[in-house]
Amino acid sequence: MTAGWLLRRLGTIVLVLLIVSFTVFGITQLLPGNAAVMILGEFATADQRHAMELAMGLNDPWYQQYGHWLGNILRGDWGMSAGLSRPVASLVGDALGRSAILAGATLVTVCLVATPIGVAGALLRGTVFDLVIGLVAYLGASVPEFVTATLLLVVVAGPDTGWLPAGGFTPAADGLGQFALHMVLPVATLSLILVAHLSRQIRSEMGEVLGSDYIRAAQVKGLTRTRIVLVHALRNALAPAVAVLSLDVGYLLGGILVVEEVFAWPGLGRLLIYAVQNRDLVVMQAATLVMAAAYTMSNLAADIIIAKLDPRVHYA
Amino acid sequence: MSPVLSVTGYTLSYRTRSGLRRALSDITLDIAPGETLGLVGASGSGKSSLAWSILRMLPGNAQEGRGQIALAGQDLRMLTRRQLAALRGRRIGMVFQDPSTALNPSMRLGDQVAEVLIRHQRLNNRDAAIQAEAWLARTGLPHPRAIMDRYPHQVSGGEKQRVVIATAFACRPELIIFDEPTTALDVITGARILDLFAELRAETPVASLYISHDLALVGRIADRVAVLEAGRIVEQGPARDVLRAPRTATTRRLLDAIPDPAHRLSGPPPPAAPLLALNDVTVTYGRASAFGQLLGAPAPVQGARHLTLALNQGEILGIVGESGSGKSTLARALTGIAPFTGQVVFANRRMTGTDRMDRAWHRDIQIIFQNPDASLNPRHRIRTILGRPLRLYAPASPAEIEAGIIAMLEEVGLPAAYASRHPHELSGGEKQRVAIARAFAAAPKLVICDEITSALDVVVQADIARLLIALQARHGTACLFITHDLNLVRQLAHRVAVMYRGDVVDVFDATDFATADRHLYTQALLSAVSRL
Repeated sequence: MTAGWLLRRLGTIVLVLLIVSFTVFGITQLLPGNAAVMILGEFATADQRHAMELAMGLNDPWYQQYGHWLGNILRGDWGMSAGLSRPVASLVGDALGRSAILAGATLVTVCLVATPIGVAGALLRGTVFDLVIGLVAYLGASVPEFVTATLLLVVVAGPDTGWLPAGGFTPAADGLGQFALHMVLPVATLSLILVAHLSRQIRSEMGEVLGSDYIRAAQVKGLTRTRIVLVHALRNALAPAVAVLSLDVGYLLGGILVVEEVFAWPGLGRLLIYAVQNRDLVVMQAATLVMAAAYTMSNLAADIIIAKLDPRVHYA
Repeated sequence: MSPVLSVTGYTLSYRTRSGLRRALSDITLDIAPGETLGLVGASGSGKSSLAWSILRMLPGNAQEGRGQIALAGQDLRMLTRRQLAALRGRRIGMVFQDPSTALNPSMRLGDQVAEVLIRHQRLNNRDAAIQAEAWLARTGLPHPRAIMDRYPHQVSGGEKQRVVIATAFACRPELIIFDEPTTALDVITGARILDLFAELRAETPVASLYISHDLALVGRIADRVAVLEAGRIVEQGPARDVLRAPRTATTRRLLDAIPDPAHRLSGPPPPAAPLLALNDVTVTYGRASAFGQLLGAPAPVQGARHLTLALNQGEILGIVGESGSGKSTLARALTGIAPFTGQVVFANRRMTGTDRMDRAWHRDIQIIFQNPDASLNPRHRIRTILGRPLRLYAPASPAEIEAGIIAMLEEVGLPAAYASRHPHELSGGEKQRVAIARAFAAAPKLVICDEITSALDVVVQADIARLLIALQARHGTACLFITHDLNLVRQLAHRVAVMYRGDVVDVFDATDFATADRHLYTQALLSAVSRL
């Protein structure tokens, strides 16, 4: 990995974010159906609308509007949320932190659960264990989050059982136990599909690696089975799995939207849904941009991890 | 002296969907300490099956019959999995055919040698690393310290094979199985690996089982030779006797198949009528964008530079050189796969780039690739594969195309019924025949053969070479025959061009090979061949 590569890669990310910002801005503020109407609602008078249009600069040419808007964002002035009466920057910042906790916990869970399942599946290919796991994975992958979430809520958090909190968020500062308990259901819901997907991927990669010449060579060396699987095979099977996982992050961001809403988790997804429902334009724009940035950065992280796992990958 | 390896009356079958298939029948052989037994046979004769039987690493569908496989008197068939794992790497080693796949791509080379020492000699990491480095030095690697820290993709094929050899020898085993250890290497590298083999053998009392399809090679390095056909040993004896006075037809066929420069396959060179001229052709891979160059993207690599070559109608020009010397790059430029600068004149048409190459150009220059598994679409039937060039290049009725397909199959010596088969239902040699038929179906003026026999065993290679020459002579087609096999090229080609690191360093008549004023690289190539 060279500095030049990293610079170019960051340059691409900036370019992608610019395109996203333009799209977001275009959809929310430029398209007909006037932002002022959107904010004020359809029952506003013509005068109110006029005043709002002037205040938001909606009568300026589009490039001036966009330049002004982008300039503010780059300066860190993300505006005020009309509905929540709070600066958007701190609003989005808090939400981003909580969503990151959820996403991070999910990714860790997915890796810890999917890797052993995938490896076991490859080693026990064709056995009953492999078939059962395969079947469960198919089921897991085919049930959408809102169904899983509802089922989990009814079964383990319903009035009859009440084993786990049905929703909400407790900061870690108020007690680690409650913090963790509140995370169980959202993380479980988000993980299910990803575990199904990733474990299948690892199983097939692992199967291929186990059939390769260098694994035979390792057997000829008389190495123990543990060493062959964990040292020789796993590392080579993980690099492609990480590539798949990095694509899954996009899926995870979509899932967060649903899961945060169902479990009342005050993160980015919930904020975005609130913003859409309440026509809070500035919040909508900021939240979307931050999500796009998170996705591009996670892809960059995946590229770097792959290069660490596979010495043949060399970015120059 | 009691033998190190002793196989007695060993029989092996595989369970397949069509029933039990016999792979080895009543195999009996011994190898004494310090002795090398050459195991020779065509592909599919059971050589590899025997190697895996000895290592006790047979696939799940193997079904063993009677017989014994003993290492220093101990029957390996009676051992448990744990006992076998403790024995492999310590008492039996193996050197694989292709070092590029036998090494773990994501592990440092030093660790791959050291791990056998840690496992079997209970050395700590530091001592194992010291010993591993000593073995790497012993195999003739110039900078063992540096090699220890490298990954497989960072070293050459020959260096990788030395690492594999160091690993096999590291625990001083009693027996080492060599599975065609030079086939995947180019000529000069292969010759040096054989030199190393001879040195190590002289130093250690190891017994060697040397598997190969090349009887000439085995005859030179083995003490005794066993010839395998269809799972049976048909002849076994001192190497000299087997080579000089073969007693069976199988052995004679193997001997006849060895390319012999004295035995020319092609006719006299055709009269000089220019067909192809390359003038100052350079191929560059990996063009960096302006933005990339600004930020320090890697500089492009020249695959071939300033090539100037000429070819007459109906002439066979052999192109030899080690891997990476630019042989295939040349083929890619002529067929329009790789963009080039310079000038190509072919059949009175002048090209200064690939963008004006039209259908007529592509019909006239056909290419046959090394690996038919990769060049024939596995989902298509042979009929579709051969029908496409016929349809594409000459308007014809369905009946005419079907007749053309049958005629092409007949011409390459395959039964008409093969038209309905898929490639996987054919043997390697048969697949390559289909690829040849496809190239000639377009009635081209020039056929480029890119290492078309190097994935095949000697016997099949000889058949394919004869077939190619017959077709070429019948159709008057010119041919660029790219290979790393000098003896083969001397049998086939009218003229030979030697390539080295992207340049053509030598061009001469095939019959006029061994004169003194050859380029240094050509001389090295020649001496490597005579050593093999």
